[in-house]
Amino acid sequence: MFGWHNSRRYLAFLLPGAVFMAIFGVFPLVQLVWMSLHDVTQSTLNAATWDFVGLHNFVRGFTDGESAVAVLRTLVVVAVVTLGGMVLGFAAAVALRTRGRWSGILLAVMVFVWALPPVVNGSVWKFLLADDGLINTVLATAGAPGPVPFLYDPTWALVSVASVGAIAVVPFNALVFRAALMAISPDTFEAAAIDGASKRQEIRHIMIPATRPTAAVLLVLTVVYGFRSFDFIYVMTSGGPGTSTATLPFLGYLQAFQQYDYGLGSATSFLAVIGVFVLAAIYARTIRREEA
Amino acid sequence: MNLRAGPVATAMKLGLTLLYGLPLFWIVLTSFKQSSDVFAPSKSLVFSPTTRAYTQSLDAALLESLKQSVLIATGATALVLAIGVPAAYALARTRHWSVTLGLVGLIVLQMMPQTSQVIPLFGLFGNWGLLDSLLGVIIADAALLTPFATLLLRPFFRSVPMSLEESGALDGAGMLRTFWSIVLPIARNGMLTVGSITFLLAWGEFLYAVRFFLSPGGYPLSALLSQQVSAFGVDWPGLMALAVLTSIPILIIFSATYRLLRDGLTVGAVK
Repeated sequence: MFGWHNSRRYLAFLLPGAVFMAIFGVFPLVQLVWMSLHDVTQSTLNAATWDFVGLHNFVRGFTDGESAVAVLRTLVVVAVVTLGGMVLGFAAAVALRTRGRWSGILLAVMVFVWALPPVVNGSVWKFLLADDGLINTVLATAGAPGPVPFLYDPTWALVSVASVGAIAVVPFNALVFRAALMAISPDTFEAAAIDGASKRQEIRHIMIPATRPTAAVLLVLTVVYGFRSFDFIYVMTSGGPGTSTATLPFLGYLQAFQQYDYGLGSATSFLAVIGVFVLAAIYARTIRREEA
Repeated sequence: MNLRAGPVATAMKLGLTLLYGLPLFWIVLTSFKQSSDVFAPSKSLVFSPTTRAYTQSLDAALLESLKQSVLIATGATALVLAIGVPAAYALARTRHWSVTLGLVGLIVLQMMPQTSQVIPLFGLFGNWGLLDSLLGVIIADAALLTPFATLLLRPFFRSVPMSLEESGALDGAGMLRTFWSIVLPIARNGMLTVGSITFLLAWGEFLYAVRFFLSPGGYPLSALLSQQVSAFGVDWPGLMALAVLTSIPILIIFSATYRLLRDGLTVGAVK
């Protein structure tokens, strides 16, 4: 009698979303691959046909372009965002478990900062990290010899944009860890207290093991977040100085919209797409393992 | 359970308060300064406040941007919910092979860097007449946010008891009717949560707006801000005033939905 619950009739509900995403989500990716195999410039962007160049754009990206070094920069950003986001996220969740109004307000402030447009957060940090900005002023008062070139030195700039990315993802990670910590039974902590466990032991033997499944899923999401980084780079350094903060996705953007070489930009972006497929496969495996 | 903060937890909270509270405080403070006071160490905290940055930025162009922001964020949220809610319901209720395909597809699309979409979309929108139009940006934003929204909505629909739907069917209600009058009211919190986050994200989106509007005349606030901050010789009080104005709607929505966001945001991430 209730057979219709498992019938295909539900799929009618899926249809509008499937059609929309096929046209505006999947088809553009197919087009990206197509563009990466052709010579596409500003003047030929909307032409009927493009000259087929095979893998030339990809080869060009590695020989004349910066694909290899962009991959390296992407890995640096991912490493900083992931390490900072996971460690600080967990630490924040543990610290915010404590009773009192301060914890509640701080959590709300952190989630608010997370909810702010990335352009707002990026603008503020660009301002704070400027030569005569607040942070350098404080450092100078503390006796630093000169302003730290947070956004002008190639290495510093990469670390700076990655750190701001980490700061931006911490509130979300803290919320997820917080949910996992709240799921631990109070009895567990009481038993530990009776046995005389210290705070450090509570964290090491109760909280870390209990949040491990959550952490595995969150880890992949944080890597993806770092990998996709675009907004803060755009606002704080525009990929500079030179191209020293141009990660793989950002390099593709610069090649397409500043050099007007859409073929080359598509090839670089396609490398990023391959990275996403790898990460998505890892994510799917992690989720299945955690649900099993 | 010992929930009092020890010295380490207190230090951590102090650090986080500086890291997240200070920038907020500094934006608001700077927005009330004169340009000449911005980098003067002696006037960091003590200065004569002025609302000049606000009065100078509040012009017709800014109101136009505000209107664009409202239209884009509202339009994108409506579109995302219109297609994402039924899709999430279907994905929560069936075990058809297409469900697995759909979920995998949504996860992959959710992870895609926006730059790998903006390059082909720029060409395609040119062919389809969607450049320099509000509709184009709304569609692009909706395509960007639908995967995430659908994945976050799905667990909310899974938690609607099947027995309620079955009793609806017993009463002779059709599928659409059951969905509309039984399932949707129960999943209301989920839709409110996802709707709010979608709105917040669409409000902050600037890349599509910057690329698809061919002149700054159509820019929403986020795009305006992104152009001003990357320009040379930034007028910091003006920029911070613009940042505050851009953030006020976020503050309103955030205040109204904080509890939902705090508890609902993590559902899709871990389950």
